[in-house]
Amino acid sequence: MSNILTIAFKEFKSFIKNPTFYIMMTLLTLILSALFTMQLQRFFQMGAMAMMQPGAAGQANIHYAVFLNHLQILNLILIFIVPAITMRLFSEEKKLRTFDLLLTCPLKSYEIVIGKYIGALLALFVIFLIAFLYPLGTALFAKLNWAPLLIAFLGIYLIAAVYAAMNLFCSSLSESILISYVTSAILNIAVWFVSQAVEFADTQWARNFLEHISLSFHISGLIEGTIRTNSLIYFFSAIGLFLFLNERVVESHRWR
Amino acid sequence: MIEVKQLCKDYGNIRAIDNVTFSIQKGDVVGFLGPNGAGKSTTMKIITGFMAPSSGSASVAGFDVFENPIEVKKRIGYLPETPPVYSDMFVRDYLRYVASLKQVDKAKINSFVDRAIEKTNLNQVSHRLIHHLSKGFKQRVGIAQAIVSDPEVLILDEPTVGLDPKQVAEIRDLIKELRGQHTIILSTHILPEVQATCERVVIINKGKIVAQDTIQNLSTLERGQGKVFIRLRKEIQDLAGLLKEVQGVIGVDNGANKKEWKVDYKGDEEVIGRVSEKIVSSGLGLIELSPSKVDLEDVFLKLTYGSDNKIESSEKSAQVSSHVTV
Ligand SMILES: Nc1ncnc2c1ncn2[C@@H]1O[C@H](COP(=O)(O)OP(=O)(O)O)[C@@H](O)[C@H]1O
Ligand SMILES: [Mg+2]
Repeated sequence: MSNILTIAFKEFKSFIKNPTFYIMMTLLTLILSALFTMQLQRFFQMGAMAMMQPGAAGQANIHYAVFLNHLQILNLILIFIVPAITMRLFSEEKKLRTFDLLLTCPLKSYEIVIGKYIGALLALFVIFLIAFLYPLGTALFAKLNWAPLLIAFLGIYLIAAVYAAMNLFCSSLSESILISYVTSAILNIAVWFVSQAVEFADTQWARNFLEHISLSFHISGLIEGTIRTNSLIYFFSAIGLFLFLNERVVESHRWR
Repeated sequence: MIEVKQLCKDYGNIRAIDNVTFSIQKGDVVGFLGPNGAGKSTTMKIITGFMAPSSGSASVAGFDVFENPIEVKKRIGYLPETPPVYSDMFVRDYLRYVASLKQVDKAKINSFVDRAIEKTNLNQVSHRLIHHLSKGFKQRVGIAQAIVSDPEVLILDEPTVGLDPKQVAEIRDLIKELRGQHTIILSTHILPEVQATCERVVIINKGKIVAQDTIQNLSTLERGQGKVFIRLRKEIQDLAGLLKEVQGVIGVDNGANKKEWKVDYKGDEEVIGRVSEKIVSSGLGLIELSPSKVDLEDVFLKLTYGSDNKIESSEKSAQVSSHVTV
């Protein structure tokens, strides 16, 4: 356990010491600020109009109209930011041959993988803290329903964790950070398109299967503020699967 | 301390090392000598548990590298060909990181790191980013990371390659200072390095061990054998023909031109006397005759680069000596 934490903290420190990380965070803040204020403005305008037309009152809900859009934008950004975080974790280490150090230290392969994974999750946590500032700021002048909001954030964090597991695996496959980035980003986009394929599936079995492996199916519940056990199982098994594959790749290095 | 038995490693079809067997006692400083591509790094990587052999076994401090890699890795400090340093870390932080990965007791990490910095003379750069260090200093950080856990065994893969002469001398001094505290294996393709730092040498060529002994024994490998350099006034096409009747001469090699020759002999100084007599009496005009002893360089070249010539020359000397006995 202490090995895992040693690696995790080292990786996390490398992230937050890295100027690129600050550039990424600044860009993130700029994008989120611009889009969040736009959404908020539109919401209040709609609210003002609703007051003039009594029939539509109560329809508007800040959770759906503002926060969910905010999270969707965050998700879109994550598709491209997570690969940038994970690409250095294995690809760069292999390229710079620092990976040899890890392989000759008294470490188990899974400790290396989980340590790096936790490092990536900690870096993602910083991103989520930034993103959470927006609803927090809104709470100063509007009354919020915290439970669904937190659950929705948790949902997106789980998605980010799935991306991180997939992308860390991609990173372990290549010595090139560019290849690692591109394959990771493509994979992140692809998991959303699995749900599109549901419409083309011809048997009920295939439809069920595709539905169950599609992220969008499982995220919909969380985003609306309800936690379903099978969705949690889905997220954790996806993470487990990719970490396991990753461990196999690291282990295979010892056999080349 | 280190036992390597019948180790083989194949990369695809290429056999990188073939049936390598040697053993190293506790406290030895062993040079692993061989030309590029001989299989030095491959052997070292197997001993460190970095990768598995295709067949054969290796053990360190009684632990099989293969069955008990964690125990082996705890006891080994390893400097790969490229020092595995993170350029975005400070020297001290990096060494602390390695120490904790090597499972040094938390309470002892600081003192171990201090000791490694002290030994490798990194004091003045310990708070600098590794990125900003010169190649020589990076190499030192590499050595510092190998010794930071105070391992029983130190494995250094070409520790001086790519450094300038001053840095090379510094690293060699450093290795000399480490003698006695660790069992050290050091690989190199340059002979003076072994002479400067090691007590024993294992010579490897094309994946096979061709010699292993103490430096002392190897440099007098062919005991009682000597070499003289001869410069003549007149040219002679075949000095070997002239000298073949002289007892004790076992080989004649041509030098830069037909006036310069090298003569190998077996026996004492009387042989040199007979050689000079023969030359003088045949009126060739002896200008210079200087004895030179067979050194490690010759042995090394003979065993590695000249391994094809070796058979030839030993045949030749066999011929000469059979002639002598007749
Ligand atoms: N990863 C590898 N894949 C294929 N061949 C390799 C690999 N590493 C080394 N070799 C080959 O194995 C042989 C021994 O290499 P190496 O152990 O690095 O030699 P040395 O360290 O003595 O220069 C060389 O012929 C080299 O080309
Ligand atoms: Mg090598």
